[in-house]
Amino acid sequence: MRSYRYCFIAVAALLCLLPAAVLAQEFSTLKRTINAPPKPSGTTPRTADGHPDLTGVWNGLGDNLLGVPNQIANDGVSIDSENSSHDIFSGTQIATFPRNATRGLNNEQGERAASLLRRVGSNRPVYKPQYWEMVKEFDQNANEEDPSNNCMPAGIPRAGIPSYIGQYANYFIFIYPGQGGLIATQTMYRMIPADGRKHTPLEDLDGTYTGEGIAHWEGDTLVVDTWGFNSSTWFDQIGGYFHSENMHVIERFHRDGNTLAWTATVDDPDVLLEPWTTTPRVALLNPKPDALLPESLPCSERDLTHTVTKEHH
Amino acid sequence: MPKRITILQILTVAAAVAFACHSALAQNEGKASSGAEAKTTAAGETMDRAKVLRAAADALGMVRWSDIGAGATRLPGIDIVNTLEIFASGTVYNAGQPSTAEYHAALAYIPPAMRVEITRKGGDAASQHTIQTVRENFAWNESEIGAGLIPGKGTATPAMPAAKGRLLRLWILPYGVVKAAIAAGDKTKISTENGATVIIFPLSGGLAGITVKATLDSKNFVTKVETTPDNSSLTNMATETEYSDYADHGEVLTDIKSPGHIVQKQAGRPVLDLQVKMVDANNPYLVFPVPPNVKAATSASASGTPGN
Repeated sequence: MRSYRYCFIAVAALLCLLPAAVLAQEFSTLKRTINAPPKPSGTTPRTADGHPDLTGVWNGLGDNLLGVPNQIANDGVSIDSENSSHDIFSGTQIATFPRNATRGLNNEQGERAASLLRRVGSNRPVYKPQYWEMVKEFDQNANEEDPSNNCMPAGIPRAGIPSYIGQYANYFIFIYPGQGGLIATQTMYRMIPADGRKHTPLEDLDGTYTGEGIAHWEGDTLVVDTWGFNSSTWFDQIGGYFHSENMHVIERFHRDGNTLAWTATVDDPDVLLEPWTTTPRVALLNPKPDALLPESLPCSERDLTHTVTKEHH
Repeated sequence: MPKRITILQILTVAAAVAFACHSALAQNEGKASSGAEAKTTAAGETMDRAKVLRAAADALGMVRWSDIGAGATRLPGIDIVNTLEIFASGTVYNAGQPSTAEYHAALAYIPPAMRVEITRKGGDAASQHTIQTVRENFAWNESEIGAGLIPGKGTATPAMPAAKGRLLRLWILPYGVVKAAIAAGDKTKISTENGATVIIFPLSGGLAGITVKATLDSKNFVTKVETTPDNSSLTNMATETEYSDYADHGEVLTDIKSPGHIVQKQAGRPVLDLQVKMVDANNPYLVFPVPPNVKAATSASASGTPGN
């Protein structure tokens, strides 16, 4: 009888503790306290011709335009742990602090902080001096000046890593779903030949948002060489980084297991002092083999009419 | 009946333990340690240092985080001050002679760089407008902003001997003081003088051999910064700067506080007395590329050959 009682008590106690254990597990698996690039796992699949197969839905961690953590990473700051961060471009350590638990942020404070956090990295394109003030003014007045406002396309390379890549023998399909929320953008797609063709002469191209992209392999890295842009986009998410129609972009995609690393090098001799390379970004493959891209909601700009100050996203 | 009471009591205890687990878990959210914070509570001085530096950083608005668009991610706070621009007017002194002037400083901490443009009213033409720039160990004077980078756009004149003095200007700003004190780790000492908190630490790298003493006010703002070189002959490295009237001076508000009044002395003589008009602290686009002729002059100097 006595042993039954102890057994019952032990079971009851365990049942009481179970929610805490479950909660602890949820916190440890769901709460992400770093924005460091994810480590690859698994093998890299290859197509019949031996190249890495980039096909898939690459929206793990939502690399593209959404979210402060990703934008901090895209701007070049890696928060490696809860007490260590560094500027990726220079390697400089950045002081890291626990959150002040006694002081919550209201929306205004959160927006101001987000604006600063997105601009703290040191990897910045170097414009010719006559454009320095213009870039600064564009960034400060992005609420009015950002060409992607009003649901216009983000353009290349601002769009970052496509959320879907379809790889075929002689071409690739890249899809960049439109996004709402912080930065409303239009859905973009690119059909990129990989058949050995040469670029159309620049003077024969009408500039477009995504340009004329042509792909080739350099070892296991897919290189997409694009020119023929219009000048109606900025080439990074923040910064007021305008460009001319002479912009030439080289993107590099490298798959390692379930990760896809991407960089873009922007050359624009009309406005830049030297070519500029983005901070490397890494996207995760959607782990579901049957993953689909959800439909993009119709883009509808709702923020601009409510803008009353120069504070911006 | 007694048996039921015992079980209820134990269930109550178990529930309390479960609740305690929840609470501890929740509290842990706000208790990650920082690079500046102590790993252990044993060393009181270390804890004081961490608390004082955090308080000074918080007063300036340097420590920030945001959950906008963050989903399930909860990042810690980081030091968000990198680039900054100060627009001021007041009195600048040249060899002890005061001039009314407009003052414009553009600066960055990654990499350390600063461009100070001073436009004096009166005086000779050559001294009316000066642009003094430094980036890491390169220093040069510009005939116009961005001079020497593309043909036909101004002249960049190497000024390597001035590099340390110009870099010092960067690190004695309130943000530089906090950054450098954190970077100095356990070499940073905290004390109290006349009721005010005092931070003392050595600078490093190219500015090694200089000790900084910063005084905080009751709101944890840096109000006075004194620098003392180990080598007393380096008189231009002995500075004293007073900061007051802190506020968010941005046209675009950032919640970063900056001093509204700056008074600086060098080797005991006044060099600046400025009223700040505007501070753009929103990490504006500021770049400091080193002109090719300045790089070449530095290389020539380093290799022992005469520079141009």
